[in-house]
Amino acid sequence: MTYQSRMTATLAASALALSASLAAAEEAPITIVINQSPWFPGFQAVVEAYEDETGNTVELDVNPFAGSLEKQRTAVRADESPFDILIMNAGFFVEFYTGGFIAPLQEIDASFELSDDIYTFDDSTCWNAEAKTITCDGGDLLSVPVNPNVLILHYRQDLYDEAGLSVPKTWDELYENAKTLQTDRRYGISQRGQRGTFDVTYDVFPYIWSHGGGIVDQQDDGSFQVSINSEGTLAGMETYLKLANDVGHPSTAGQTQTNVIQNMATGRAAHINSVPAPGLFDDESKSMVVGQVAYAPPPGTAEIPSATPLGHWLAGVPKNISDDNKQAALAFLSWFQTDAAQRAYAEAGSMPVSRAVLESEMADQPEYRWMKAMAEALPNARLTFTFPEATQVLAITELRLNQAIGGEMPLKEALNTAAEEITKVMQDAGYDIPAPELLQ
Amino acid sequence: MKTDTFWRHATLWPALVLFALLTILPLIKLLALSFHDVEWINREAVWDWVGLANYARLPQDNLLRAGALNTLIFAVVAVALQMLIGFILALLTTRVVRGRVFYRTVFILPILVPGIIIGAIWKLMYSYDFGVLNSLLLWLGLAPQDWLGNPDLALLSVIVVDVWHWTPFCFLLLLAGLESLPDDIFEAAKIDGASRWQQLRHITLPLMLPTIAVTFVFRMILAFKVFDEIYLLTGGGPGTSTEVISFTIYRRFFTEDQTGYGAAMSIAVIAVIAAGIIAATRATAGKGAKA
Repeated sequence: MTYQSRMTATLAASALALSASLAAAEEAPITIVINQSPWFPGFQAVVEAYEDETGNTVELDVNPFAGSLEKQRTAVRADESPFDILIMNAGFFVEFYTGGFIAPLQEIDASFELSDDIYTFDDSTCWNAEAKTITCDGGDLLSVPVNPNVLILHYRQDLYDEAGLSVPKTWDELYENAKTLQTDRRYGISQRGQRGTFDVTYDVFPYIWSHGGGIVDQQDDGSFQVSINSEGTLAGMETYLKLANDVGHPSTAGQTQTNVIQNMATGRAAHINSVPAPGLFDDESKSMVVGQVAYAPPPGTAEIPSATPLGHWLAGVPKNISDDNKQAALAFLSWFQTDAAQRAYAEAGSMPVSRAVLESEMADQPEYRWMKAMAEALPNARLTFTFPEATQVLAITELRLNQAIGGEMPLKEALNTAAEEITKVMQDAGYDIPAPELLQ
Repeated sequence: MKTDTFWRHATLWPALVLFALLTILPLIKLLALSFHDVEWINREAVWDWVGLANYARLPQDNLLRAGALNTLIFAVVAVALQMLIGFILALLTTRVVRGRVFYRTVFILPILVPGIIIGAIWKLMYSYDFGVLNSLLLWLGLAPQDWLGNPDLALLSVIVVDVWHWTPFCFLLLLAGLESLPDDIFEAAKIDGASRWQQLRHITLPLMLPTIAVTFVFRMILAFKVFDEIYLLTGGGPGTSTEVISFTIYRRFFTEDQTGYGAAMSIAVIAVIAAGIIAATRATAGKGAKA
């Protein structure tokens, strides 16, 4: 074959391949802005599966946690968003709903519905603009959940078997187990105490909720109450600090989510409370504890059972994109909530948002042993912040809780200071909130 | 002659216009923003006039106070160390006749490494569980240290990274200054019997003062703007121990979305830095004239 004929054949083949791919793609290419989380590799795999199956193109714009939020804000405030799907965190989605940035999905396609199998996570998929409330009762469907992301307890099954321990239901039991398993080379527990965007605050929720505390609670009448310096929160934080000081990592105030996961993966921690990254712990190239990590809902107290914070992720379609792109975005979300896609998502090492998959026969297989813990934890999972000023409140809690954990400020003083600062933020934003009663 | 002057000015105008577009206009926008609170309702930005309220909040902001103090400590300690080490290295390098290029290349290597890689390298080195520093301490029979998680150590640890990163900058400028000093003065001093210390004290330092001052001012400006090292190593924590002003502005403006207040904070910091530069320039101009 001459050079010219080889060239002609190559060009012809390329043109054929291009036309084939164009013919296969039914939707406009879309871009998803997303953060780099432990569950991201699974999402990436499922996006690739979507591309292979449909011929449609999806680009992923991957960012650190805070960077993703900033990009989403900038995108929705521009004349035209460069992103067709926003992956919004449970801590911040309300500001996108209240700002009117997200397109109601049934305005894009009136026939679109969220599958009955998909969790709504305290109705966080819906927004009633008139009542300014998160509710699917009279609210518009604004998003599709893409990841459940709740904290669950990870523990070393092999060490439990060796020591004859049983799975802890209360913090006291966890403390005793951690004490038993603590050695010079292994921490009883590793906690995520670093100050970040939504780090230490997320980590302490199971402790403070199960002691009857909170940070800012929404009342039945829709009003808010600052509860960060309540007796319950104090008790929860004392439990957190007891674990950190007696059986925890010496640098709890400096531990990120990545550190905590690393400590488990390298065999340095007997327990962690973390968002699950099951694919990681069973991957021989990344873990020294393959097949040894087991899962359970976070402990609670004798009075209040386990409660875990929703740190889930929601996919919303911004209003400021073309109709074609809205359709393409919805096509992806429709595909994503199918049973096949949810199973593929789980197989790729991430947590599905489908109740049917979590409770399916998959959960009985050893590699999906985390599913039962998730299914058990999710009914008690709660939204953390349901108002648009969440980022300002988080800036306060991240600092004050970290100061208390690091010993820079006494616990009661940290909680009282946080309560006063949060009250000021909420009052400035127009909420009718009384001055907090300080802990003595 | 008049035409000549006209054209000299005229050739500067395009650059001036570009400068105004890229710098002055955003600054004016920032200033305007600092007198407002911005809220987003139905995809529309609603600017509420708040007058000087955002500026009045500044003194009460605990985070800003901590950030200002840490920035000052960080800048003074880090830059002092960088100037001292950079000057010593530059002096030693000028005395090397053969292989000077080799030493110069080695000493400037850290400045060529991107900030993100520096963050990764040092975060690993400082790691409590896996870091080389703690491995070394354990090998020596000493207790491991929580370099980035201990409020008493964290700022110092970040300063060490900054000194490692930016000393080459001082070294390069000071070396250039030392190499440009006239040889004949030193020859004359030698003939007059001046010792090395006397040459350093009475000739090198006075002649180097303008270069030292410029290097110092440049580094102080950069040190006041430190962000990447803090972001990558500590995120401002633990607590407020490594909070710096640029990080506080980042939090308020971007993360918390308090754009009006963040703008006021930015304007206040720009004003303070500008005042510092003017004061330093005047002071060094006076010294330079005396020297």
